[in-house]
Amino acid sequence: MSAVHEVELPDAASARAWGRSLATVLAAGDLVVLTGPLGAGKTTLTQGIGEGLEVRGQVASPTFVIARVHPSQVGGPALVHVDAYRLGSLEELDALDLDTSLEDSVTVVEWGEGLAEVLAEDRLELVIDRPHGGAGLSEEDLATADAGTRRVRVRAVGPRWADVELPTGG
Amino acid sequence: MPDASLVLGIETSCDETGVALARIHDDRTELLVDAVASSVDEHARFGGIIPEIASRAHLEAMVPTIQRALGEADVDLGQVGAVAVTAGPGLVGPLTVGAAAAKALAVGLGVPLHGVNHVIGHAAVDEMVHGLFPERVMALVVSGGHSSLLLVDDVATDVTELGHTLDDAAGEAFDKVGRLLGLPYPGGPHIDRLAREGDPGAIRFPRGLTAAKDQARHADDFSFSGLKTAVARWVEARQDAGQEIPLHDVAASFAAAVADVLTAKTIAACRRHEVDTLVIGGGFSANSQLRELATRRCAEAGITVRIPPIRYCTDNGAMIAALGAAVVRRGLPASPLDLAVDSSMPLTQVTV
Repeated sequence: MSAVHEVELPDAASARAWGRSLATVLAAGDLVVLTGPLGAGKTTLTQGIGEGLEVRGQVASPTFVIARVHPSQVGGPALVHVDAYRLGSLEELDALDLDTSLEDSVTVVEWGEGLAEVLAEDRLELVIDRPHGGAGLSEEDLATADAGTRRVRVRAVGPRWADVELPTGG
Repeated sequence: MPDASLVLGIETSCDETGVALARIHDDRTELLVDAVASSVDEHARFGGIIPEIASRAHLEAMVPTIQRALGEADVDLGQVGAVAVTAGPGLVGPLTVGAAAAKALAVGLGVPLHGVNHVIGHAAVDEMVHGLFPERVMALVVSGGHSSLLLVDDVATDVTELGHTLDDAAGEAFDKVGRLLGLPYPGGPHIDRLAREGDPGAIRFPRGLTAAKDQARHADDFSFSGLKTAVARWVEARQDAGQEIPLHDVAASFAAAVADVLTAKTIAACRRHEVDTLVIGGGFSANSQLRELATRRCAEAGITVRIPPIRYCTDNGAMIAALGAAVVRRGLPASPLDLAVDSSMPLTQVTV
Protein backbone atom coordinates (compact mmCIF):
# COMPACT_ATOMS: atom_id res chain seq x y z
CA MET A 1 0.00 0.00 0.00
CA SER A 2 1.63 3.24 -1.05
CA ALA A 3 0.71 6.66 -2.35
CA VAL A 4 2.94 9.07 -4.24
CA HIS A 5 2.95 12.77 -3.55
CA GLU A 6 5.13 15.42 -5.26
CA VAL A 7 6.26 18.80 -4.03
CA GLU A 8 8.48 21.51 -5.51
CA LEU A 9 10.69 23.49 -3.19
CA PRO A 10 12.13 26.55 -4.93
CA ASP A 11 14.80 27.36 -2.32
CA ALA A 12 16.40 26.31 0.97
CA ALA A 13 13.95 28.36 3.04
CA SER A 14 10.96 26.62 1.44
CA ALA A 15 12.65 23.25 1.95
CA ARG A 16 13.01 24.03 5.66
CA ALA A 17 9.42 25.27 5.85
CA TRP A 18 8.16 22.09 4.21
CA GLY A 19 10.23 20.07 6.68
CA ARG A 20 8.55 21.97 9.52
CA SER A 21 5.12 21.16 8.07
CA LEU A 22 6.08 17.52 7.64
CA ALA A 23 7.09 17.41 11.29
CA THR A 24 3.51 18.15 12.30
CA VAL A 25 2.40 14.76 10.95
CA LEU A 26 5.40 12.83 12.32
CA ALA A 27 5.20 10.86 15.57
CA ALA A 28 7.41 8.60 17.66
CA GLY A 29 8.34 5.46 15.75
CA ASP A 30 8.11 7.07 12.30
CA LEU A 31 10.80 6.54 9.68
CA VAL A 32 11.68 8.98 6.89
CA VAL A 33 14.13 7.85 4.20
CA LEU A 34 15.89 10.58 2.17
CA THR A 35 17.55 9.88 -1.15
CA GLY A 36 19.36 12.28 -3.44
CA PRO A 37 22.88 13.19 -4.67
CA LEU A 38 25.49 15.19 -2.68
CA GLY A 39 24.07 18.68 -2.33
CA ALA A 40 20.43 17.69 -2.93
CA GLY A 41 19.36 19.27 0.35
CA LYS A 42 18.80 16.21 2.53
CA THR A 43 20.30 17.90 5.58
CA THR A 44 18.43 21.15 4.87
CA LEU A 45 15.12 19.30 4.81
CA THR A 46 16.05 17.52 8.03
CA GLN A 47 16.81 20.88 9.64
CA GLY A 48 13.21 21.86 8.97
CA ILE A 49 11.95 18.62 10.51
CA GLY A 50 14.16 19.29 13.55
CA GLU A 51 12.76 22.81 13.88
CA GLY A 52 9.23 21.45 13.66
CA LEU A 53 9.92 18.80 16.32
CA GLU A 54 11.64 21.41 18.52
CA VAL A 55 14.70 19.29 19.23
CA ARG A 56 17.98 20.34 20.86
CA GLY A 57 21.16 21.10 18.97
CA GLN A 58 22.15 22.13 15.47
CA VAL A 59 20.85 19.62 12.94
CA ALA A 60 23.90 19.27 10.70
CA SER A 61 25.31 16.57 8.46
CA PRO A 62 25.61 13.26 10.37
CA THR A 63 28.10 11.85 7.86
CA PHE A 64 31.07 11.77 10.21
CA VAL A 65 29.29 10.26 13.19
CA ILE A 66 26.81 8.21 11.09
CA ALA A 67 23.97 9.05 13.47
CA ARG A 68 23.16 11.92 15.77
CA VAL A 69 20.39 12.01 18.38
CA HIS A 70 18.64 15.32 19.05
CA PRO A 71 16.56 15.13 22.23
CA SER A 72 13.20 16.90 22.28
CA GLN A 73 12.96 20.20 24.13
CA VAL A 74 9.21 19.92 24.52
CA GLY A 75 8.67 16.37 25.74
CA GLY A 76 8.06 15.03 22.23
CA PRO A 77 9.96 12.41 20.24
CA ALA A 78 13.73 12.78 19.73
CA LEU A 79 15.08 13.16 16.20
CA VAL A 80 17.54 10.45 15.16
CA HIS A 81 19.41 11.70 12.10
CA VAL A 82 21.31 8.96 10.27
CA ASP A 83 23.68 8.91 7.29
CA ALA A 84 23.47 5.35 5.96
CA TYR A 85 26.02 5.94 3.16
CA ARG A 86 28.55 3.67 4.80
CA LEU A 87 26.15 1.13 6.28
CA GLY A 88 25.66 -2.22 4.58
CA SER A 89 22.14 -2.46 5.94
CA LEU A 90 19.93 -0.50 8.23
CA GLU A 91 19.92 -3.46 10.60
CA GLU A 92 23.36 -2.12 11.45
CA LEU A 93 21.55 0.80 13.07
CA ASP A 94 21.53 -1.48 16.08
CA ALA A 95 25.32 -1.36 15.96
CA LEU A 96 25.31 2.38 16.35
CA ASP A 97 24.61 2.21 20.06
CA LEU A 98 22.19 5.12 19.87
CA ASP A 99 21.19 6.48 23.24
CA THR A 100 17.50 6.31 22.37
CA SER A 101 15.27 3.68 20.84
CA LEU A 102 13.77 4.10 17.38
CA GLU A 103 10.28 3.44 18.81
CA ASP A 104 10.58 6.64 20.86
CA SER A 105 12.04 8.75 18.07
CA VAL A 106 11.44 10.14 14.62
CA THR A 107 14.21 8.60 12.51
CA VAL A 108 15.43 10.38 9.39
CA VAL A 109 17.84 8.34 7.28
CA GLU A 110 19.93 9.94 4.52
CA TRP A 111 21.24 7.63 1.77
CA GLY A 112 18.84 4.96 3.00
CA GLU A 113 17.30 3.86 -0.32
CA GLY A 114 17.32 0.10 -0.75
CA LEU A 115 18.15 -0.38 2.92
CA ALA A 116 15.07 0.91 4.72
CA GLU A 117 12.71 -1.90 3.75
CA VAL A 118 13.97 -4.18 6.52
CA LEU A 119 13.58 -1.54 9.19
CA ALA A 120 9.94 -0.63 9.07
CA GLU A 121 6.88 -1.66 7.14
CA ASP A 122 5.60 1.90 7.42
CA ARG A 123 7.81 4.66 6.12
CA LEU A 124 7.99 7.86 4.07
CA GLU A 125 10.43 7.56 1.18
CA LEU A 126 11.56 10.96 -0.12
CA VAL A 127 13.60 11.25 -3.31
CA ILE A 128 15.10 14.71 -3.82
CA ASP A 129 16.44 15.91 -7.18
CA ARG A 130 18.68 18.92 -7.61
CA PRO A 131 19.82 20.52 -10.88
CA HIS A 132 22.67 18.45 -12.34
CA GLY A 133 25.98 19.80 -13.70
CA GLY A 134 25.73 23.03 -15.63
CA ALA A 135 28.02 24.98 -13.37
CA GLY A 136 30.36 26.96 -15.58
CA LEU A 137 33.62 28.57 -14.62
CA SER A 138 32.10 31.93 -13.77
CA GLU A 139 31.98 33.10 -10.21
CA GLU A 140 28.24 33.87 -10.47
CA ASP A 141 27.49 30.37 -11.71
CA LEU A 142 29.37 28.76 -8.84
CA ALA A 143 27.93 31.12 -6.25
CA THR A 144 24.42 30.06 -7.21
CA ALA A 145 25.21 26.37 -7.76
CA ASP A 146 23.47 25.52 -4.51
CA ALA A 147 20.29 27.34 -5.53
CA GLY A 148 17.62 25.93 -7.79
CA THR A 149 14.37 24.10 -7.30
CA ARG A 150 14.37 20.78 -5.51
CA ARG A 151 11.72 18.34 -6.61
CA VAL A 152 10.71 15.95 -3.85
CA ARG A 153 8.86 12.74 -4.64
CA VAL A 154 7.25 11.33 -1.52
CA ARG A 155 6.15 7.72 -1.38
CA ALA A 156 4.08 6.93 1.70
CA VAL A 157 4.41 3.23 2.43
CA GLY A 158 2.31 1.15 4.81
CA PRO A 159 -0.96 1.43 6.72
CA ARG A 160 0.48 4.09 9.08
CA TRP A 161 0.27 6.62 6.25
CA ALA A 162 -3.00 5.48 4.66
CA ASP A 163 -5.14 8.39 5.83
CA VAL A 164 -2.47 10.98 6.58
CA GLU A 165 -2.51 14.14 4.53
CA LEU A 166 1.02 15.22 3.68
CA PRO A 167 1.88 18.93 3.37
CA THR A 168 1.96 20.50 -0.07
CA GLY A 169 4.95 22.43 -1.44
CA GLY A 170 6.06 25.94 -0.56
CA MET B 1 49.77 8.36 47.95
CA PRO B 2 47.73 10.37 45.44
CA ASP B 3 49.41 13.56 44.30
CA ALA B 4 46.75 16.26 43.81
CA SER B 5 48.78 17.90 41.05
CA LEU B 6 48.78 14.79 38.86
CA VAL B 7 45.82 14.47 36.46
CA LEU B 8 45.09 11.45 34.29
CA GLY B 9 43.11 12.25 31.14
CA ILE B 10 41.09 9.70 29.15
CA GLU B 11 39.64 10.42 25.70
CA THR B 12 37.40 8.01 23.77
CA SER B 13 34.89 10.19 21.91
CA CYS B 14 35.63 8.75 18.49
CA ASP B 15 38.20 6.27 17.18
CA GLU B 16 41.32 7.16 19.19
CA THR B 17 41.88 5.79 22.68
CA GLY B 18 43.91 8.53 24.36
CA VAL B 19 45.48 8.44 27.81
CA ALA B 20 47.69 11.23 29.12
CA LEU B 21 49.15 12.50 32.36
CA ALA B 22 49.43 16.18 33.21
CA ARG B 23 51.22 17.82 36.13
CA ILE B 24 49.85 21.11 37.45
CA HIS B 25 52.49 23.73 38.24
CA ASP B 26 51.71 27.24 39.50
CA ASP B 27 52.55 28.84 36.17
CA ARG B 28 52.00 26.06 33.65
CA THR B 29 50.50 22.67 32.95
CA GLU B 30 53.12 20.10 32.02
CA LEU B 31 52.37 17.13 29.77
CA LEU B 32 54.17 14.07 31.18
CA VAL B 33 52.99 11.51 28.64
CA ASP B 34 50.45 11.18 25.86
CA ALA B 35 49.62 7.65 24.71
CA VAL B 36 47.21 7.04 21.82
CA ALA B 37 45.85 3.86 20.28
CA SER B 38 43.89 4.29 17.07
CA SER B 39 41.36 2.05 15.38
CA VAL B 40 41.34 4.17 12.21
CA ASP B 41 42.83 1.35 10.11
CA GLU B 42 39.93 -0.88 11.10
CA HIS B 43 37.48 1.77 9.86
CA ALA B 44 39.20 2.71 6.60
CA ARG B 45 37.55 -0.08 4.61
CA PHE B 46 34.13 1.28 5.58
CA GLY B 47 34.99 4.80 4.47
CA GLY B 48 34.50 6.20 7.96
CA ILE B 49 33.97 5.44 11.60
CA ILE B 50 31.73 2.53 12.59
CA PRO B 51 30.72 3.18 16.21
CA GLU B 52 30.49 -0.42 17.32
CA ILE B 53 33.94 -1.24 15.96
CA ALA B 54 35.27 1.84 17.73
CA SER B 55 33.64 0.82 21.04
CA ARG B 56 35.20 -2.64 20.90
CA ALA B 57 38.58 -1.20 19.96
CA HIS B 58 38.43 1.21 22.93
CA LEU B 59 37.58 -1.68 25.23
CA GLU B 60 40.58 -3.67 24.01
CA ALA B 61 42.98 -0.72 24.02
CA MET B 62 41.99 0.92 27.31
CA VAL B 63 44.00 -1.03 29.87
CA PRO B 64 47.14 -1.44 27.70
CA THR B 65 47.07 2.28 26.84
CA ILE B 66 46.76 3.28 30.52
CA GLN B 67 49.64 0.92 31.38
CA ARG B 68 51.77 2.30 28.55
CA ALA B 69 51.14 5.90 29.65
CA LEU B 70 52.01 5.18 33.29
CA GLY B 71 55.10 3.19 32.27
CA GLU B 72 56.44 5.87 29.94
CA ALA B 73 55.91 8.57 32.57
CA ASP B 74 57.31 6.32 35.31
CA VAL B 75 54.27 7.06 37.45
CA ASP B 76 52.48 4.58 39.75
CA LEU B 77 48.71 4.45 39.31
CA GLY B 78 48.43 5.22 43.05
CA GLN B 79 50.04 8.62 42.50
CA VAL B 80 47.22 9.86 40.22
CA GLY B 81 45.37 12.69 42.00
CA ALA B 82 42.36 13.14 39.70
CA VAL B 83 40.84 11.47 36.67
CA ALA B 84 39.45 13.53 33.80
CA VAL B 85 37.39 11.96 31.02
CA THR B 86 35.54 13.08 27.91
CA ALA B 87 31.84 13.25 28.80
CA GLY B 88 30.80 14.41 25.29
CA PRO B 89 30.13 15.30 22.59
CA GLY B 90 30.97 12.21 20.57
CA LEU B 91 29.81 8.68 19.85
CA VAL B 92 27.81 7.34 22.75
CA GLY B 93 29.32 3.81 22.78
CA PRO B 94 32.96 4.94 22.70
CA LEU B 95 32.22 7.69 25.27
CA THR B 96 30.66 5.10 27.58
CA VAL B 97 33.77 2.90 27.47
CA GLY B 98 36.00 5.82 28.50
CA ALA B 99 33.61 7.01 31.20
CA ALA B 100 33.33 3.52 32.68
CA ALA B 101 37.12 3.21 32.83
CA ALA B 102 37.45 6.65 34.41
CA LYS B 103 34.76 5.94 37.01
CA ALA B 104 36.41 2.64 37.94
CA LEU B 105 39.77 4.36 38.36
CA ALA B 106 38.31 7.22 40.39
CA VAL B 107 36.47 4.84 42.72
CA GLY B 108 39.41 2.46 43.00
CA LEU B 109 41.90 5.22 43.73
CA GLY B 110 39.54 7.30 45.85
CA VAL B 111 40.22 10.43 43.78
CA PRO B 112 37.90 12.97 42.11
CA LEU B 113 36.36 12.31 38.68
CA HIS B 114 35.96 15.20 36.23
CA GLY B 115 33.82 14.76 33.12
CA VAL B 116 34.82 17.39 30.56
CA ASN B 117 33.88 18.63 27.09
CA HIS B 118 35.84 17.16 24.17
CA VAL B 119 35.59 20.20 21.91
CA ILE B 120 36.81 22.60 24.60
CA GLY B 121 39.65 20.13 25.22
CA HIS B 122 40.80 20.78 21.64
CA ALA B 123 41.46 24.37 22.71
CA ALA B 124 42.72 23.61 26.24
CA VAL B 125 45.50 21.32 25.01
CA ASP B 126 47.36 24.41 23.82
CA GLU B 127 47.87 25.45 27.45
CA MET B 128 50.44 22.64 27.60
CA VAL B 129 52.11 23.75 24.39
CA HIS B 130 52.13 27.55 24.46
CA GLY B 131 51.39 28.28 28.14
CA LEU B 132 48.28 29.10 30.18
CA PHE B 133 45.66 31.18 28.36
CA PRO B 134 45.47 34.92 28.86
CA GLU B 135 42.22 36.35 30.24
CA ARG B 136 40.28 36.04 27.01
CA VAL B 137 41.03 33.98 23.90
CA MET B 138 39.15 33.06 20.76
CA ALA B 139 39.18 29.36 19.87
CA LEU B 140 38.46 27.94 16.43
CA VAL B 141 37.89 24.20 16.71
CA VAL B 142 37.77 22.48 13.34
CA SER B 143 37.63 18.73 12.75
CA GLY B 144 35.73 16.00 10.96
CA GLY B 145 32.81 16.46 13.30
CA HIS B 146 33.04 20.07 14.44
CA SER B 147 33.55 23.60 13.13
CA SER B 148 32.96 25.93 16.05
CA LEU B 149 34.02 29.38 17.12
CA LEU B 150 34.32 29.74 20.90
CA LEU B 151 34.90 32.83 23.00
CA VAL B 152 36.90 31.55 25.98
CA ASP B 153 36.84 33.86 29.00
CA ASP B 154 37.87 31.00 31.27
CA VAL B 155 38.60 27.61 29.76
CA ALA B 156 37.19 25.74 32.79
CA THR B 157 34.16 27.88 33.64
CA ASP B 158 33.20 30.40 30.99
CA VAL B 159 32.98 29.44 27.33
CA THR B 160 30.56 31.03 24.86
CA GLU B 161 29.79 29.37 21.55
CA LEU B 162 29.70 32.26 19.08
CA GLY B 163 29.02 30.15 16.03
CA HIS B 164 29.21 26.75 14.38
CA THR B 165 28.64 25.08 11.08
CA LEU B 166 25.04 25.01 9.91
CA ASP B 167 25.61 21.90 7.80
CA ASP B 168 28.94 20.15 7.08
CA ALA B 169 31.97 20.39 9.37
CA ALA B 170 35.11 21.56 7.55
CA GLY B 171 36.75 18.13 7.71
CA GLU B 172 33.51 16.48 6.63
CA ALA B 173 33.29 18.74 3.57
CA PHE B 174 36.83 17.63 2.69
CA ASP B 175 35.86 13.97 3.04
CA LYS B 176 32.76 14.44 0.88
CA VAL B 177 34.65 16.31 -1.84
CA GLY B 178 37.25 13.54 -1.60
CA ARG B 179 34.47 11.02 -2.21
CA LEU B 180 33.32 13.10 -5.18
CA LEU B 181 36.82 13.13 -6.67
CA GLY B 182 37.27 9.39 -6.15
CA LEU B 183 39.92 9.73 -3.42
CA PRO B 184 40.31 7.20 -0.59
CA TYR B 185 38.86 7.84 2.90
CA PRO B 186 39.60 10.03 4.74
CA GLY B 187 39.72 12.53 1.91
CA GLY B 188 41.18 15.45 3.86
CA PRO B 189 44.89 14.57 3.68
CA HIS B 190 44.57 13.53 0.01
CA ILE B 191 42.96 16.84 -0.96
CA ASP B 192 45.61 18.69 1.05
CA ARG B 193 48.36 16.85 -0.85
CA LEU B 194 46.75 17.47 -4.28
CA ALA B 195 46.04 21.09 -3.37
CA ARG B 196 49.70 21.86 -2.76
CA GLU B 197 50.38 21.32 -6.47
CA GLY B 198 47.30 23.12 -7.73
CA ASP B 199 46.28 26.72 -8.35
CA PRO B 200 44.05 27.95 -5.48
CA GLY B 201 42.77 30.74 -7.74
CA ALA B 202 41.85 28.49 -10.67
CA ILE B 203 38.16 28.18 -9.75
CA ARG B 204 36.38 30.78 -7.65
CA PHE B 205 34.24 28.49 -5.48
CA PRO B 206 31.70 30.26 -3.22
CA ARG B 207 32.43 31.39 0.34
CA GLY B 208 29.46 30.36 2.47
CA LEU B 209 27.66 32.88 4.74
CA THR B 210 29.95 35.75 3.79
CA ALA B 211 27.37 37.85 1.93
CA ALA B 212 26.21 41.08 3.55
CA LYS B 213 22.72 39.61 4.08
CA ASP B 214 24.19 36.82 6.26
CA GLN B 215 26.05 39.14 8.61
CA ALA B 216 23.11 39.88 10.90
CA ARG B 217 22.27 36.30 11.87
CA HIS B 218 25.28 34.25 10.82
CA ALA B 219 28.39 36.41 11.18
CA ASP B 220 30.09 33.72 13.30
CA ASP B 221 28.51 30.66 11.68
CA PHE B 222 29.96 28.55 8.91
CA SER B 223 28.39 26.73 5.99
CA PHE B 224 30.24 24.40 3.64
CA SER B 225 27.25 22.72 2.02
CA GLY B 226 26.88 25.23 -0.82
CA LEU B 227 30.60 24.98 -1.53
CA LYS B 228 30.29 21.19 -1.69
CA THR B 229 27.37 21.45 -4.12
CA ALA B 230 29.30 23.94 -6.26
CA VAL B 231 32.24 21.51 -6.50
CA ALA B 232 29.84 18.64 -7.32
CA ARG B 233 28.11 20.56 -10.11
CA TRP B 234 31.39 21.89 -11.51
CA VAL B 235 32.79 18.35 -11.65
CA GLU B 236 29.53 17.01 -13.14
CA ALA B 237 29.61 19.66 -15.85
CA ARG B 238 33.18 18.66 -16.81
CA GLN B 239 32.28 14.98 -16.78
CA ASP B 240 29.16 15.60 -18.89
CA ALA B 241 31.33 17.42 -21.43
CA GLY B 242 33.75 14.49 -21.50
CA GLN B 243 36.57 16.62 -20.09
CA GLU B 244 39.24 15.56 -17.68
CA ILE B 245 38.94 16.84 -14.09
CA PRO B 246 41.94 18.97 -13.07
CA LEU B 247 42.20 17.35 -9.63
CA HIS B 248 45.02 19.56 -8.36
CA ASP B 249 43.24 22.80 -9.24
CA VAL B 250 39.85 21.63 -7.93
CA ALA B 251 41.46 20.55 -4.65
CA ALA B 252 43.46 23.77 -4.29
CA SER B 253 40.50 26.02 -5.14
CA PHE B 254 38.19 24.12 -2.78
CA ALA B 255 40.72 24.16 0.09
CA ALA B 256 41.29 27.88 -0.52
CA ALA B 257 37.57 28.58 -0.14
CA VAL B 258 37.42 26.68 3.17
CA ALA B 259 40.56 28.32 4.61
CA ASP B 260 39.43 31.76 3.43
CA VAL B 261 36.04 31.56 5.16
CA LEU B 262 37.38 30.04 8.39
CA THR B 263 40.12 32.63 8.83
CA ALA B 264 38.16 35.68 7.66
CA LYS B 265 35.22 35.00 9.97
CA THR B 266 37.43 34.10 12.93
CA ILE B 267 39.53 37.23 12.63
CA ALA B 268 36.42 39.38 12.24
CA ALA B 269 35.08 37.82 15.46
CA CYS B 270 38.39 38.53 17.24
CA ARG B 271 38.07 42.19 16.19
CA ARG B 272 34.44 42.42 17.24
CA HIS B 273 35.14 40.95 20.68
CA GLU B 274 38.48 42.72 21.05
CA VAL B 275 40.40 39.48 21.47
CA ASP B 276 44.08 39.45 20.54
CA THR B 277 44.85 35.74 20.98
CA LEU B 278 43.51 33.00 18.74
CA VAL B 279 43.85 29.26 19.39
CA ILE B 280 43.17 26.85 16.53
CA GLY B 281 42.56 23.20 17.43
CA GLY B 282 40.94 20.04 16.15
CA GLY B 283 42.11 17.57 13.53
CA PHE B 284 41.39 19.89 10.61
CA SER B 285 43.96 22.41 11.88
CA ALA B 286 46.48 20.02 10.29
CA ASN B 287 45.30 21.46 6.95
CA SER B 288 48.21 23.34 5.40
CA GLN B 289 46.21 26.08 3.65
CA LEU B 290 44.39 26.86 6.91
CA ARG B 291 47.66 27.04 8.86
CA GLU B 292 49.34 29.27 6.30
CA LEU B 293 46.41 31.63 5.83
CA ALA B 294 45.66 31.91 9.57
CA THR B 295 49.30 32.67 10.32
CA ARG B 296 49.52 35.34 7.60
CA ARG B 297 46.17 37.02 8.30
CA CYS B 298 46.65 37.02 12.10
CA ALA B 299 50.06 38.63 11.66
CA GLU B 300 48.46 41.34 9.51
CA ALA B 301 45.69 41.85 12.09
CA GLY B 302 48.05 41.96 15.08
CA ILE B 303 46.54 38.79 16.56
CA THR B 304 48.72 36.18 18.25
CA VAL B 305 47.82 32.82 16.75
CA ARG B 306 48.50 29.64 18.68
CA ILE B 307 48.24 26.34 16.80
CA PRO B 308 49.47 23.23 18.62
CA PRO B 309 51.62 20.72 16.73
CA ILE B 310 49.51 18.35 14.63
CA ARG B 311 49.77 15.43 17.09
CA TYR B 312 47.93 17.51 19.69
CA CYS B 313 45.29 18.69 17.21
CA THR B 314 43.91 15.23 16.50
CA ASP B 315 42.02 13.44 19.29
CA ASN B 316 44.26 12.49 22.21
CA GLY B 317 44.34 12.14 25.97
CA ALA B 318 46.49 15.26 26.39
CA MET B 319 43.56 17.55 25.56
CA ILE B 320 41.46 15.95 28.31
CA ALA B 321 44.33 15.95 30.82
CA ALA B 322 44.89 19.64 29.98
CA LEU B 323 41.25 20.57 30.52
CA GLY B 324 41.10 18.36 33.62
CA ALA B 325 44.15 20.16 34.96
CA ALA B 326 42.45 23.52 34.34
CA VAL B 327 39.40 22.28 36.29
CA VAL B 328 41.53 20.95 39.19
CA ARG B 329 43.64 24.12 39.23
CA ARG B 330 40.49 26.15 39.92
CA GLY B 331 39.33 23.83 42.68
CA LEU B 332 36.04 23.05 40.94
CA PRO B 333 33.82 20.31 42.43
CA ALA B 334 34.13 16.75 41.11
CA SER B 335 31.56 15.28 38.73
CA PRO B 336 29.10 12.76 40.18
CA LEU B 337 30.19 9.13 39.83
CA ASP B 338 26.97 8.40 37.96
CA LEU B 339 27.73 11.04 35.33
CA ALA B 340 26.02 10.26 32.05
CA VAL B 341 27.87 10.73 28.78
CA ASP B 342 26.18 13.16 26.41
CA SER B 343 26.67 12.56 22.68
CA SER B 344 25.41 16.06 21.87
CA MET B 345 26.90 17.90 24.88
CA PRO B 346 26.49 21.66 24.36
CA LEU B 347 29.76 23.53 23.79
CA THR B 348 28.95 26.05 26.51
CA GLN B 349 29.14 23.25 29.07
CA VAL B 350 32.77 22.65 30.04
CA THR B 351 32.21 20.12 32.85
CA VAL B 352 29.43 17.84 34.08
